[in-house]
Amino acid sequence: MSKAATFLKSQVGRKIATGVTGIGLVLFIIVHLLGNLAYFAGPEAINTYSYTLHQMGPILWVVRLGLLAFFVYHVWLGISIWLEKRRARPEGYSVYASRGGASRQNWSSRSMVVTGILLLIFVFTHLYTFAFHDFATAIHDGVEMHDVHQRLTEVFQNPVYTIYYVVIMVLLGMHLRHGVWSAFQSLGWMSRKSNPIIYSIAFVLAVIIALGFIGLPISIYFGLV
Amino acid sequence: MTIHLKIWRQKDRNTPGKLVDYTMDDVNPDMSFLEMLDWLNERLMNEGKEPIEFDHDCREGICGSCNLVLNGMAHGPHEATAVCQLHMRKYKDGDTIVVEPWRAKAFPMIKDLVVDRSAFDRIMTAGGYISINTGAPADANALPINKYDADLAFDYAACIGCGACVAACPNSSASLFTGAKISQLAHLPQGNPERKRRVVNMVDKMAEEGFGDCSNFAECEAVCPAEISITAIAEMRREYFNALSEIE
Repeated sequence: MSKAATFLKSQVGRKIATGVTGIGLVLFIIVHLLGNLAYFAGPEAINTYSYTLHQMGPILWVVRLGLLAFFVYHVWLGISIWLEKRRARPEGYSVYASRGGASRQNWSSRSMVVTGILLLIFVFTHLYTFAFHDFATAIHDGVEMHDVHQRLTEVFQNPVYTIYYVVIMVLLGMHLRHGVWSAFQSLGWMSRKSNPIIYSIAFVLAVIIALGFIGLPISIYFGLV
Repeated sequence: MTIHLKIWRQKDRNTPGKLVDYTMDDVNPDMSFLEMLDWLNERLMNEGKEPIEFDHDCREGICGSCNLVLNGMAHGPHEATAVCQLHMRKYKDGDTIVVEPWRAKAFPMIKDLVVDRSAFDRIMTAGGYISINTGAPADANALPINKYDADLAFDYAACIGCGACVAACPNSSASLFTGAKISQLAHLPQGNPERKRRVVNMVDKMAEEGFGDCSNFAECEAVCPAEISITAIAEMRREYFNALSEIE
């Protein structure tokens, strides 16, 4: 077996890989969130943003395939670590409780596999709703482009999809609350001093990202933009 | 004081175990938890019944022999306390305590509350040593070690190898134990000759013994009687990454 394969199969390597792919996905999410905010600047801003992305051609495909690889690998690692956990303790405790204190066991860390799987399902539905949609066209400055603004407005006027989206973004926040901190610990970027600081930063980042994503559908649904 | 106990009884590895109820109505609050079990065992033996098997040795929190999960928490509810140092005054009259052994595939059942923790010994054998001949104790200042490293090495060396980290971990991971052993030696010059091989071998051995993956729950740090920080796990990961050249 090659060095890389041995490394990636080891328990430490698997955590490092989960952390690296996780950080990659968080960076994508931040860029995605910033892109979403273009909606607030009006139809021309978000449609041109989308158009510019599509004009990137091969680069866009490299990014897309890279993202897909990171995503699939991250999901696979998460599920296999979860399966391993069941194998490592065939007979569970009659009573189990967290000691609290230094423990990071909470609603966020305990539900990583559940929130992760729901996010995976969401990504499929989200791509179906937006990426694979047959967009109407809009013309800005004489250039014909997808009318993303119109599609977003239409989708988020539907209460069911809006609620679904908001709930999933809360779950995303939960996933990142443990995930961001955990990535730093997994990559060994942690000391006794920085541990609580990074844990707090992860919380703030998770809240900002979740609220950032929730802002758009709520604003559209209630006609605030 | 009266204490209701639900204690895991299991004849051997191949016989299914169950929780058995015992009520102790003459518990002295100054007894340690293990003394209460001694008391209970004495009673059982006087009644001609099989006593409850549990591991213990020093009873002063430094040997790492005792291993009980009380109401779902390894070593019981108090931080930085091995269960031998837990006293009954911490409980209230009439409390019910569920007593279970460490549960992990890598710690197979022997009897009742006793499990086989020799997997830890095998992780140590894989790399938790230094091979240089240290000879007679050297002069304390002959080999200068800065305060920062000396303190960290000492903190990690406090690990008594009890296995509470594994017992409390939702994934049954041995990362805190292994991390502490690796990081302790990584901060000392004596640990340098085998530094890279050590981390690779010990991490491999940990997985081979059937311990689970770490999910950074940090429950291990919360239950550790020696208060070892999960920074040891972060250090183990850095060490592993730096030892890439040694990976086969």
